[in-house]
Amino acid sequence: MPGVSLDDLRRIDELQVRYLDALDRKNMAAWAGTFAEEAQYICTTAENEDAGLPLALMMDDCRGRIEDRVKFVEKVWAGTFQDYQTRHFVQRLACTAARAGLYSVRSNFAVAFTRSDTGESSILAAGVYDDLVDLSGGQALFQSKRVVVDSPVLPHYVVYPL
Amino acid sequence: MTERSITPPVVWPTKATEVPKEIFVREDVYREELRRIFMGPEWFPIAHASELPNRGDFKTCFVGEVPLLVTRDDEDELHVFYNSCAHRGAQLETRTSGNKRAFQCPYHRWTFDTKGALIGCPLKPGDSVAFSREKYPLSQPRMAMVHGLIFVTLCDAAPSLAAFLDGYEDKLANVMGGDGRLRLLGYHKTTLHANWKTYHDNDAWHAPLLHTAFRMLDWQGGKGCQFANARGHRGFESVLSLPVGQTLLSDASLIEYRGGDLSRGSCSLHLFPLFAAVKHLDTIGLRFVNPRGVDRTELHFAYFGREDDDAEMTRHRVRQSSNLLGPCGMVSMEDAAMFQRLHIGSRTPGMQVFQKGVKDEYAMPREFSQNDEAVNILSWEYYRRVMGFEKEAACPA
Repeated sequence: MPGVSLDDLRRIDELQVRYLDALDRKNMAAWAGTFAEEAQYICTTAENEDAGLPLALMMDDCRGRIEDRVKFVEKVWAGTFQDYQTRHFVQRLACTAARAGLYSVRSNFAVAFTRSDTGESSILAAGVYDDLVDLSGGQALFQSKRVVVDSPVLPHYVVYPL
Repeated sequence: MTERSITPPVVWPTKATEVPKEIFVREDVYREELRRIFMGPEWFPIAHASELPNRGDFKTCFVGEVPLLVTRDDEDELHVFYNSCAHRGAQLETRTSGNKRAFQCPYHRWTFDTKGALIGCPLKPGDSVAFSREKYPLSQPRMAMVHGLIFVTLCDAAPSLAAFLDGYEDKLANVMGGDGRLRLLGYHKTTLHANWKTYHDNDAWHAPLLHTAFRMLDWQGGKGCQFANARGHRGFESVLSLPVGQTLLSDASLIEYRGGDLSRGSCSLHLFPLFAAVKHLDTIGLRFVNPRGVDRTELHFAYFGREDDDAEMTRHRVRQSSNLLGPCGMVSMEDAAMFQRLHIGSRTPGMQVFQKGVKDEYAMPREFSQNDEAVNILSWEYYRRVMGFEKEAACPA
């Protein structure tokens, strides 16, 4: 990754690990805490993206919506769904400096999930993360996280962000 | 038609309010449904014209197990073909959508245009006495359109589309916001781990008790009515009520309404056997649904704006449609979870029972109040007759 110091890469990777660990632990506050004060989380499909269609599976394009998603999971949907355990796997592919302290990072991701009702493990989603990571403060944070899911058809409803 | 392929035969209860659970989980019933319903005299919405806005646009889909191809040709005409090469029958197009002027089967390089004509083929004179290009266009099921919604039937004996819709054309227009002038915003596609009839019986409208969001927002439904007909279609229209003084959401735009007229602001329509359309707040959604086996159903939510929306309204609809409904939506994620539980529960003996709004357990209901589940009974009676399931003989005096 030319032009990006090893220390910056370490901080970026640590943020990614903090993100996936928060989700796998179902700690929604910690998930929201990986985003900057002004940030966006958008999850869409490659099908929508390739066709130039603006709809997303999750469009949390402001801080308020990121906080609202925490409420969906913890309050609104409580007791209505069969829970599942996720395991996120992330592989950084590219990292470039967008401007001072801000990095554009592209990664592959896969989310394995194990349903509590059947005990079966399979893949919930695979795709890419396109992230903008802010390293200007004390803690690395996502200014933007764009998740593009490869499959046009989700195999299951999605409770937690990907 | 006989019921010999279904053994033991399904015996339908005498009460109009009961549905045998076994029909949701029996493989033989499902195979018979593919024959009698999906290959039968029903009409299936498979796309809206606005999903293919440009010449050369195409979309592929399935009705039951049958693959179809929808195209828009260079004269702006829409066509539906069986997605199968006219030569040896291989699936012709494999992508879900795209834009192209020619469809080539890679097996023997037969090539078809957007009107289905065979325009290229490496056969030379003398290779076959039986061949001429004119004899081998792509074959087509019957197709018809209402308000831009493209319907097909795979059965030559099907009635006209107008007879099938049985007067529901206007209700279809209402759900789309007045007419068919729509603009596609995108898709949510998901898999339901449930029989297709569980979707058919429970989506589009059900008691709001399931949705905690409505309670947390102190959001009561507006005054409205349900309707249903003997053809198996049903729906709901109501004044749109808006939550007042909500404190749940940090970003209230998710439940904001900018559509003006509240009088029919919330409506849904469910056409037998599987199509649903829902307009709620500023979302306009057409739900294309297809079975993928006895215990799996694929659901494609297609969301639309109106053609005359300005950029700000489009942005609002996109933001609202993305987060309100669908497999991750605030008020519908849990639907899929409920369908799954209904399906698993159907492996137990006995009947599902309808209660609310039932006035006579043995008769077809005629009027429905807003929250009645009795509205589903008519489409079950239609299903029973199509499937040829006999009712139990004894009817109490």
